[in-house]
Amino acid sequence: MRTCRGTSNPVLELPHNRFSRWVDRLVIHIGEYVSWVWLLLLGIIVLNVLMRYLLSEGRIEFEEIQWHLYSLGFLLGLSYSYTRDAHVRVDVIRERLSPQTQAWIELYGTLFLLLPFIMLVVVASVPFIAYSFATSEVSQAPGGLPFRWLIKSVLLIGFLVLLLSVISRLSRVLYFLFARGSS
Amino acid sequence: MSAGDVLSLLMFAAFILLIFSGFPVAWVLGGLAVVFTAIGIIARVDFDLPVFVSWDYSTLVVDRSWDIMNNWVLVALPMFIFMGLMLDRSGIAQRLMHDFVRLFGGVRGGLAVTIALIGILLAASTGIIGASVVLLALLGLPQMLDHGYKPELATGTICAVGTLGILVPPSIMLVLMADRLAMPVGDLFLGALFPGLVLGGLFVGYILVYAYLNPDAAPVPDDYEPVDVALVVSVLIAVMAPAGLIVAVLGSIFFGIATPTEAAGVGAFGALLLALFNRQLDLAVLREVCIETTRTTAYIFAIFLGATAYSLVLRGLGGDELIKGLLIGLPFEPVGIVIAILFFTFLLGFFLDWIEITLIILPLVSPVVAELGFDLIWFTVLFAVCLQTSFLTPPVGFAIFYLKGVTPGDIPVGTIYRGVIPFILLQLLGLALIFVFEDLVLWLPDKAY
Repeated sequence: MRTCRGTSNPVLELPHNRFSRWVDRLVIHIGEYVSWVWLLLLGIIVLNVLMRYLLSEGRIEFEEIQWHLYSLGFLLGLSYSYTRDAHVRVDVIRERLSPQTQAWIELYGTLFLLLPFIMLVVVASVPFIAYSFATSEVSQAPGGLPFRWLIKSVLLIGFLVLLLSVISRLSRVLYFLFARGSS
Repeated sequence: MSAGDVLSLLMFAAFILLIFSGFPVAWVLGGLAVVFTAIGIIARVDFDLPVFVSWDYSTLVVDRSWDIMNNWVLVALPMFIFMGLMLDRSGIAQRLMHDFVRLFGGVRGGLAVTIALIGILLAASTGIIGASVVLLALLGLPQMLDHGYKPELATGTICAVGTLGILVPPSIMLVLMADRLAMPVGDLFLGALFPGLVLGGLFVGYILVYAYLNPDAAPVPDDYEPVDVALVVSVLIAVMAPAGLIVAVLGSIFFGIATPTEAAGVGAFGALLLALFNRQLDLAVLREVCIETTRTTAYIFAIFLGATAYSLVLRGLGGDELIKGLLIGLPFEPVGIVIAILFFTFLLGFFLDWIEITLIILPLVSPVVAELGFDLIWFTVLFAVCLQTSFLTPPVGFAIFYLKGVTPGDIPVGTIYRGVIPFILLQLLGLALIFVFEDLVLWLPDKAY
């Protein structure tokens, strides 16, 4: 019912073009590098716990770094999971459809659902970040981290990379649906 | 019925219809938020209807996303995922299997009991149904079938125990539920502990009784070794590692030593050490676990972001008031309303994953339950058990689906269906016990800190 990984997934088998191959490789690289944040996060949590118990001083910075890293991880992970087609799908009906029909669903879904959602977040996050930058917003907590606009920008960056990988997928779907017959 | 109510219902119907297209759930949710904002604006501007959504309102989705980012409790989620994935790779399960099989070798149904116990131990660590079921199936199914176990018993055990992972703390589902209901994660973990153990106990008890009554269904292997002291020591050592980790994680939350986030980080570190001691850890494994954590975390949070946008617009249309009115208006006693909600959840669990149900349905129904005067921790645990049961239920239970994906082709799906039925009945029994004996849930959180 849910996508079972690895078994023939028509979306992943769409023909590639030069642009999509380049983008997908980039997105996968970004995702793989970003994945190390979990190890870093783990280290910082353990360090913070140790410091709290051994030196009896917990640090606000450390707690803030933790959610900074976690936000970086899941937001840049969005595009990675998209390119790997790991986002959850309900497959009961889909797996009985032809690759053509599935490509049409992918096309309409992308145009009328996914892209509008990305645009909403992208457009709305620009003033959100600009305001933070203009007011030089810093953490409210004593000893908190500066440059709040920087971490807020990660939301925008995450969605822009996602947008890039969506355009890559779209180029493959369009090629598959419209250009294949003529070649 | 107001224009907002009609749009709310349409938005709900659109969601249910569109997810069956197979387009990713996260984007269906996020996209519908934009589409229904547009429809709402058209309804107000062009048709002069009293609908109160606007682009300004929907841009609040960025503030809501920021609340998700700027959230120290949710940091526990990727850490628990990391911990579960690392434990899967640590070789612990294989070692437990090896030792438990020898320990229970002389007991009828011993293999199934082994799988159940490993499942319960690992349940505490993974919380991802697919992962638990696949691991247990690869580990135990060939062995049970080789020893002449009835396929119904073997497959039923694996499915049932595999779904326990989302209930037995520390579970990522409980973290998410606690966040949505603004209740302490620790309380929910502690509340779910006994119900999880009760269900696990019912499963083991059933296997033993069934195997005793039907010797052919679960034969004792001919080549079993007698149990000696060395074996018992070896078993204890094998159990100690994962059990110790779970106890440390839950214990530090119970005694207020660590926050759930800290407990998750330290637990993940513990899993890393276990893998290291079992000589299963190298750079490649570490890299794969990290990447797999990104992938799992990202798909959960994609749905989180989409559901946030969806719920925002649904609330703007007055959808939560509508649901509240409908539920309160049911012609039942308060207890009947709770049962109706649970039944509805159970049905939704047939085609929605726990993530969507937790993020969208739970926040809609919980204020109603609180208003009727029920304890929210108790209700949330019931809600969780309900979801878990629906993943087990034919014809579309997730556990069955995952098991089918890894079983050799000669087990027909009908066999699995017959196999899970007794376990579904046990689930319902467990659910009834929790419903009647509130203290199963409420006693432990009450004693904590």
